[in-house]
Amino acid sequence: MNVEPRSLARRLFEPASIDSQAPVARVVTYALLFLWTLIVLVPLYWVLITSFKGPGDVDNGPFYLPFVDFAPSLNAWNFMLVENPTLGPYLNSVVVAVSSTLLAVLIGSLAAYALVRIRFQVKLAAIAVFLILLAAVIAAVATFGVKWQVAVSVAVALFGIALFTLVGRTKAAVGNTDIEFWIISNRIMPPIVAVLPIYVMFQQLRLLDTQVALIATYTAVNLPIVVWLTRDFFAGIPLDLEESAEIDGASKFRVFFTIALPLVRSGLVATFLLVLILAWNEYLVALFLSNVEAQTMPVLVSAQNTTRGPQWWNMSVLIVVMIAPVVVISTLLQKHIARGLLAGAVKG
Amino acid sequence: MTAPVDTTMEAAHGQGWAERLDRRSGGIMVLPAVIVLLCFAIFPLIISAYLALSRFALAPGGFTLKFIGLTNFRKVLVGSQQYHLLGQFGAFGLVQWLSVGLVAAGLLVLLGRYFTRGGPTVLGTVGRVLAAAVAMGLTMLAVATVAPGGVPGTVVNTLLYVVVGVFVQFALGLGLALLCGQPIRGRNFFRVVFFIPLMVTPVGIAYTFRMLADMQKGPFAPLVRAFGVGEWSWATEAWSARLMVLIGDTWQWTPFMFIVLLAAVENQPRDQVEAAQLDGASGFQIFRDITWPAIAPVAATVVLIRLIEAFKIIDLPNVLTGGGPGLATESMTLHSFISWRTQDLGSSAAVGYMLLFISTIVCVSFFNFVVRPARRFEA
Amino acid sequence: MKIRSLLAGVSAICALAGAPAQAQDKPFAGVTVNVITQTGAIQEPLQRRAPDFEALSGAKINIIAVPFSDLYQKILTDWASGTNSVDAAVFAPQWMVDYIAGGYLDDLTPRVDADKDIQQDDVGAFFRDFSEKYNGKTYMITLDGDFHMMYYRKDILDAAGQKVPTTWDEYLEVAKATHGKDMNGDGTPDFGSCIAKKRNAQSYWFVTDVVGSMTQSKGTNQGTFFNTKDMTPLVNNDAFRKALDFLSESTKYGPPDELNLDVSDTRPLFASGRCALNLDWGDVGTISIDPAQSKVMGKWGAAVMPGAKEVLNWDTGKLEACSAEICPHAVDGVNHAPFAAFGGWGGGINAAADPKVKDAAYAFFSYMTQPAQSNADVTVGGTGFNPYRASQLSYSDLWKKANMSEEEAKVYLGAINASMSSPNMILDLRIPQNQKYQQVVLDEAVSRFLAGEIDKEATVKAVEDGWNELNDEIGKDEQLQFYNATIGAK
Repeated sequence: MNVEPRSLARRLFEPASIDSQAPVARVVTYALLFLWTLIVLVPLYWVLITSFKGPGDVDNGPFYLPFVDFAPSLNAWNFMLVENPTLGPYLNSVVVAVSSTLLAVLIGSLAAYALVRIRFQVKLAAIAVFLILLAAVIAAVATFGVKWQVAVSVAVALFGIALFTLVGRTKAAVGNTDIEFWIISNRIMPPIVAVLPIYVMFQQLRLLDTQVALIATYTAVNLPIVVWLTRDFFAGIPLDLEESAEIDGASKFRVFFTIALPLVRSGLVATFLLVLILAWNEYLVALFLSNVEAQTMPVLVSAQNTTRGPQWWNMSVLIVVMIAPVVVISTLLQKHIARGLLAGAVKG
Repeated sequence: MTAPVDTTMEAAHGQGWAERLDRRSGGIMVLPAVIVLLCFAIFPLIISAYLALSRFALAPGGFTLKFIGLTNFRKVLVGSQQYHLLGQFGAFGLVQWLSVGLVAAGLLVLLGRYFTRGGPTVLGTVGRVLAAAVAMGLTMLAVATVAPGGVPGTVVNTLLYVVVGVFVQFALGLGLALLCGQPIRGRNFFRVVFFIPLMVTPVGIAYTFRMLADMQKGPFAPLVRAFGVGEWSWATEAWSARLMVLIGDTWQWTPFMFIVLLAAVENQPRDQVEAAQLDGASGFQIFRDITWPAIAPVAATVVLIRLIEAFKIIDLPNVLTGGGPGLATESMTLHSFISWRTQDLGSSAAVGYMLLFISTIVCVSFFNFVVRPARRFEA
Repeated sequence: MKIRSLLAGVSAICALAGAPAQAQDKPFAGVTVNVITQTGAIQEPLQRRAPDFEALSGAKINIIAVPFSDLYQKILTDWASGTNSVDAAVFAPQWMVDYIAGGYLDDLTPRVDADKDIQQDDVGAFFRDFSEKYNGKTYMITLDGDFHMMYYRKDILDAAGQKVPTTWDEYLEVAKATHGKDMNGDGTPDFGSCIAKKRNAQSYWFVTDVVGSMTQSKGTNQGTFFNTKDMTPLVNNDAFRKALDFLSESTKYGPPDELNLDVSDTRPLFASGRCALNLDWGDVGTISIDPAQSKVMGKWGAAVMPGAKEVLNWDTGKLEACSAEICPHAVDGVNHAPFAAFGGWGGGINAAADPKVKDAAYAFFSYMTQPAQSNADVTVGGTGFNPYRASQLSYSDLWKKANMSEEEAKVYLGAINASMSSPNMILDLRIPQNQKYQQVVLDEAVSRFLAGEIDKEATVKAVEDGWNELNDEIGKDEQLQFYNATIGAK
């Protein structure tokens, strides 16, 4: 115990031990943290109480405290949850967000693992041939009206021939970092550039306004993020475990699922949560690809802005029910998020 | 970084189906990702390129696309829609020349250092020159349109959201992470609460901030009136409207910076910090010498992630102001979206491509010149 | 193409279509119709009545609602790409021309001609002869009557000793005199004038309100957007400049954030008693009598849009005082040109839909517009439907039930009647790609003008150049033909 008397100033400005803060610093720290807590919570509080207001309470407002300066009512909740079919879009959002996130994490972590552990050599010539053929197919379909099934079959055949004849003779190739970089760079693409062609694509496949279309698109959009984050997790785990398993004759897939994945569990959870949030909140793509069957919550939220004025109360109900599950999940997974981010992004 | 290890080559050359599958496992593992990206990124991009070079028109029973070359690009870059994408240029005064000159000098110094440090490669030179040229061009554009008499177009608006927004979010996120990294109680509480804004759908945030910022019936209306500015509104002036968009964006994305940076701060070498504290180092010294080097790689990475996302901003300005007043808050994605909505698919794709071009150059440059050096010293 | 053969089939079925309502044994059992429209108002009555219609006819009506700003493109994308998941749409007559250009809309003329229940004679002549029709054929069943009117607060105007304004100059005077007074007793100053001026919303229609009353004085077929001789935009003149002045001047007497208000913001503002004057569609009337929202019950009135005493000489570009010859339709020397902005929501049917589905869709629209349903719907604020039938313009039990006093009805319905029967009504722009002319060029230029980005002359130039460029791009001669055809110019 330290019994040496300390001056008041020293006691205020210097920490008592190395794991604590000086009183003044502590007060400032808490004050700032609570200030930001307020900044975060005030908008959310406003949304929450607005969901219990009626048109009069909003238009003649502002009113701040339920029961004190306005009488809360469940009208908006009743209207959105009972009288209106909100459940459909809600289920759509759940199904689309969860499945696309699972898919993205699965596909993305597989690719990331392979890119970390296996050396790739992809011939530049093969890529060039592929791109030329792709452009040719599009030109043929768009300008000459060739049936797309025909064009694609011809292109696949030509690609095969080219692989066996031309490509073998060239040397230039791209390696792992290039492939990684390419995958990640896809995230840079603004969705507005791609969304119309994607619309036409699903229209050709007769999949518009289905959950499948949204799941597939979200998987693709979020895939680069998954690869980006998980590659660091895999790179961070020691090799010897996997190697000994492989010497025992386990296949790459087996090693991946039984050894590598469990080791980066926390990282995967953190990735999963981030991607889930992105998919859960996506608006632009959903607006294009869904009409009625597959409509998701963000579209429904924005639809509350009507010619009679934004229906703040209804909108607030929707925002509250949209936030609630994600908050619960992320609170439960809190421990994993922290650990996951440590394992991945920090180790780099 | 861990070097890729080639284990497949060492695998026994068995003839069984399973073994052959295993030898090809690398390809099989990557293939789904590649296919998905080809279908949903590369293929649409090529189609969009075609759209950007065409004029879309309705025709009986469907539509027609007429190839018109670069007309759409010409229209937004030098033609009748130039004011929209690039803005109107103001007069160049002393301040303008000075700021342009400073940036040019800075870029030249950076370029010069690359050459004098030795080992310039062809690819490296081309990349750096291109990056410097784009940086110079964007600076000129920003300076010229912000200058007196100028009006910023959607490019400059987007850059403002990206540069200022990401910077503020990073500063706030780092500050909060450092505060939260102190030995305090309730860290998990703060972590959970601070994380929440990230989970709100951007459309919802936009509406929430419209409610909050309402000058007549929002929660702050009496306060505003008490200060005697009730007759003023943020929505009618360009800079206050832009500021409002930035506030909403910052509210949403600071948590992302915070949560990742906090993880990094918590992971800094404890023993070094303690040793420094025993030596009587100040808080700032500890931050400069221990914390910052430890979190720099992570910091660079989160800023990059955020940069990429920031270029796509649309929901907030669209709902808050509809892009107004005038063109003041319109981002490039919103510009493209509005063109699309009025059947001008060619211009829409052209603007989208301009955005792709700018964001690619900026993000790739940031990756090469900031993230890579920051991560070089690791592992 | 497939569509053409379908069209052939359709005309055969049209002969049968006249009688769907007579078959009481649920003629459309098992048929599902996807109807798309905007969310909120308009969606509400359709959704509410769909189950009744299903009980009556057996057809299941699936209402798809999307935000207004995305509706036009959503319909277009669905039909132009051949997706055709949308069988019918309730949309704006302005968009009709683009849909017809693609051949996506079904010609409803034979159906309407054979349909007695729809009572076309009762429908306002303007909607029957202009809104629903294109090139002499009917493509739309009107469900809503839309034009701009002026709303005012009787009590406030009386207290300030002001008369109801009939010209734009008077409007500004009244706005100035009343601005800053407390109009709803909450102790805060309120506003002289509320006009929706938000970008990418409805503001450009209010420009035409003002310009039109100075450019069009000789009847609907004179036109107000372009010179009917050579498609020159009627922009570079004193009428347009004066309208710009009006807009910036009225902003001074408006709410501080007026530039960020669309009609969905100004309507609650007027209803909660914060505006002395307001320009809007008919909706404000029904919202003002809704006890849940309104603080102005019994205190408001409506009038035909203000006009001008000087109108444009098309040749000189200058304003000239009205005379009996120049302004044949003037009232007390003031030329009014009520603007059928937007033109009223109506139902149209996808030409590529299944014949049975088309029949069901038509039957549904017919059901919605029949007085038994429609006359009740137009009295309710939440529907978004405004009066468009003669039988809806007299004070009835329905209006009484909707809380409208006889006195309110007299001014409100009177104002509608005065607008609807005006021979000098302005028809909204309905040439191909009109969205680009109005929503892009005009809206953007005016928004930049109000935000102070560009001055008056630059605004005039931006609109003139923008419209000329579009004319050249799309084809000036074709656009001229379209324009003259829609307004019935000789």
